[in-house]
Amino acid sequence: MEIIEKIKTNKSDDNLTEIQKICLNKLHSSPLPNPKSELWRLSNKSKLSKFLDYSVNEKDSKFDIPYPKNSQSTIRLIIGENCQIKLIEKNYSIQQLSEDELQKYIKEQISFFKQNENWSDLLNLSLSCKNNILGLKINGSKIPPIEIFSHSSSNSLNAKTLVIFIEKNCDIELLQVNLVKENSSLSQSTFFCLKENSSVNHGVVSYGENKSNLLNSLNVIQQKNSAYNLGSLHFKFNYARFEISIKQSSGSAKTNIKGMQITKKDEQISTYTKIEFNGPNGFLDQINKSLADDKSHAIFEGSIIVPKIAQRTDASQLSRNLLLSNLAQIDTKPQLEIIADDVKCKHGATISQLNEEELFYMRTRGITLTEASKLQLSSYFQEIISFIPISKDRWDLLDKLLNEN
Amino acid sequence: MVNENLVKDVVKEPYKYGFVTDIETEKIEKGISEDIIKLISQKKEEPKFLLDFRLKAFKKWQKMKEPDWAELGYKKIDYQDIIYYSAPKQKEKISSLDEVDPKLLETFDKLGIPLTEQKKLTNVAVDAVFDSVSIATTFREELAEHGVIFCSISEAVKNHADLIEKYLGTVVPASDNYFAALNSAVFSDGSFVYIPKGVTCPMDLSSYFRINSGDSGQFERTLIIAEESSSVSYLEGCTAPMFDTNTLHAAVVELIALDDASIKYSTVQNWYAGDEEGIGGIFNFVTKRGKCLGKRSKISWSQVETGSAITWKYPSCLLLGEESVGEFYSVALTNNLQQADTGTKMIHIGPNTKSTIVSKGISAGNSKNSYRGLVKMGTKATGSRNYSQCDSMLIGDQASANTFPYIKSQQPNSEIEHEASTCRISEDQLFYLQSRGIEFEEAVSMMVSGFCRDVFNQLPMEFAAEADKLLALKLEGSVG
Repeated sequence: MEIIEKIKTNKSDDNLTEIQKICLNKLHSSPLPNPKSELWRLSNKSKLSKFLDYSVNEKDSKFDIPYPKNSQSTIRLIIGENCQIKLIEKNYSIQQLSEDELQKYIKEQISFFKQNENWSDLLNLSLSCKNNILGLKINGSKIPPIEIFSHSSSNSLNAKTLVIFIEKNCDIELLQVNLVKENSSLSQSTFFCLKENSSVNHGVVSYGENKSNLLNSLNVIQQKNSAYNLGSLHFKFNYARFEISIKQSSGSAKTNIKGMQITKKDEQISTYTKIEFNGPNGFLDQINKSLADDKSHAIFEGSIIVPKIAQRTDASQLSRNLLLSNLAQIDTKPQLEIIADDVKCKHGATISQLNEEELFYMRTRGITLTEASKLQLSSYFQEIISFIPISKDRWDLLDKLLNEN
Repeated sequence: MVNENLVKDVVKEPYKYGFVTDIETEKIEKGISEDIIKLISQKKEEPKFLLDFRLKAFKKWQKMKEPDWAELGYKKIDYQDIIYYSAPKQKEKISSLDEVDPKLLETFDKLGIPLTEQKKLTNVAVDAVFDSVSIATTFREELAEHGVIFCSISEAVKNHADLIEKYLGTVVPASDNYFAALNSAVFSDGSFVYIPKGVTCPMDLSSYFRINSGDSGQFERTLIIAEESSSVSYLEGCTAPMFDTNTLHAAVVELIALDDASIKYSTVQNWYAGDEEGIGGIFNFVTKRGKCLGKRSKISWSQVETGSAITWKYPSCLLLGEESVGEFYSVALTNNLQQADTGTKMIHIGPNTKSTIVSKGISAGNSKNSYRGLVKMGTKATGSRNYSQCDSMLIGDQASANTFPYIKSQQPNSEIEHEASTCRISEDQLFYLQSRGIEFEEAVSMMVSGFCRDVFNQLPMEFAAEADKLLALKLEGSVG
């Protein structure tokens, strides 16, 4: 109940939007996710309650983008900065969704929500006020890369919502950056709707500082012949959850996911993915990497659901994990639920440490142990990082990761 | 496109063990209460420690809730509507098999179980359990020469109470889970095996479980102890008659392997699975666990699960001893409306422990077949390794195959590898075989048998042949 009280503080019912009311109502019956449910049983309860400890902030403090805009033209948007977006060029257009469109879509999504699966979304939508919801409709081709920032700072809990419609035959590169400062929490929910024949290269880079928390939820609906590529990286969070739900609404779509999470100290970062094939000829290739050091805990749970209608689905999922310390732990659970018989589905999981033979080889060639470990790690990271769009021009993620090691 | 109907036809083979033996049985009244437990204990003339064990388990069971996390769809079990003790009426003490009711012997003959000791050629010692009671154990004397104890657990309670008191409930404690607690409270019989230090058991040991009455549950308990440097291979088979009602089978199996000991436990489970509409059949809710206590000890589970309306079991290994080894080889076949949620748990506690999991699931008809397994590396399990492979085969587009592997590691110096795949009967292979003049049904059963080969290779000889045949029979009429 505390959460609900908190959301309502400083607000009378009249100030709440209709969506906020619906979500609050849903949260009312069970304000917290069931800690025994599969999706929440490994989640650290005290860390989750710390996430909720901060007071809700609806107005942003000044936000400095961590790197300058370079000459290459990118479109940069910051959720929460109340600006009107309307870009209509020869080849493409980027427009804000009308209030009605946005409301209608979000309400439709809420009707599919389940308490434990979508708790993060429910919390997000009951917290995020009008200013913090950004709805976009993107059309056309040869669109410059888009960067979208969400941030949270000053000892507060911020909620940002992003809804993007990618229209037919549209092709874009989009990097989403979530920055969370010390002692603050960010709740980010993103809704993508990919129409027929569209293609998206989506990058998600989330990084925090000490004691920052993140609940990041990503919901994607893919229509026929669409292609969705996701590269994601989460690091430096006291507590972070990345929940991905992808639905291929009528099959024949392609999904590629490459994700990575890095935990140190006593951090806990988890990734939950649910990929549903609701039509035939779907394709999925997913790899998730975790690295756990010190006393940290990395979790991956991925499920692939292939109902009867999804014949000729080709899905593979791989979970690769590096456990670097005696006190760290890794949990992984790749799962398959299959009814269609004419499918190719496989998954794999490994947990190991750095390859000793490779280290030994490099050392015999005069490379120090530290350098050799760095080399191995860089090849481990590289596969994921090279898949994240735009970032390589912007900041050297690899350097950032290695130097922090 | 493979002809679906043809494939379906391959799985339809009537259950041939569905007959009922008309024999006078002694049953107690339905329901469970402290008095019933005391009555069972009194009938079996048990020492006080065992009655206390039962009553304590019963108290715990009363406080527990029936688990529902596996989301198996079955009607709520009315635990007061079950008869907890049913035994064929017989003379007070049997000194030889001649005194066993001939009808009983006939039953086991029909099932192809060699009870009469003339059939020595088979070289397998059998303990036959009929409803709640063990009726005969063969080859006792020969085994006794080697110091091997192989008898029903009720006899062991009388003759080897010290061993029972020392080991019973140490691997699967009474409070372990709902069905284990129920079993601990009301278990009626089962097998007991003790292999002394340095002895390799001269023959395979086998238990044969037969449920005969429709309203009684079967709650047997098996305890196998392998002392230092000993080894044993144990086989278990099960059948039941066809009834329209569901019968509960909640067994507990505990294995203990000390230094350098090795236990191989093989099961061919063919309980009645219910009819095509899913009416009747056995609920097979079993807790099986082995403890590799000693250094370099080894426990190997191999199972062929073809029967039961619902199979819900996870034969597990606790790898405590240094360099101990756990293995799990399983074939689970489901057809019609059968449900199977089975797999294993490999808990690596000691250093340099190793485990291998090979699971093959075949789902046909409207059945649901899930592999659920846990591999856990504890903080002290340095240098430990696990390899798991879970393959599923789907026959028809109504069956479902699920894989839920839970993998947890707290030890950087250990390695876990898991892989799973799902496929169907390959049309190319089928076409190839058929073009070589092999009948369709035979081709399918060859391919299924090939799919399960890794597991069948681990079964003892007699069982491997039986399992192959069983699978072919079960699949008859379902592949197409």
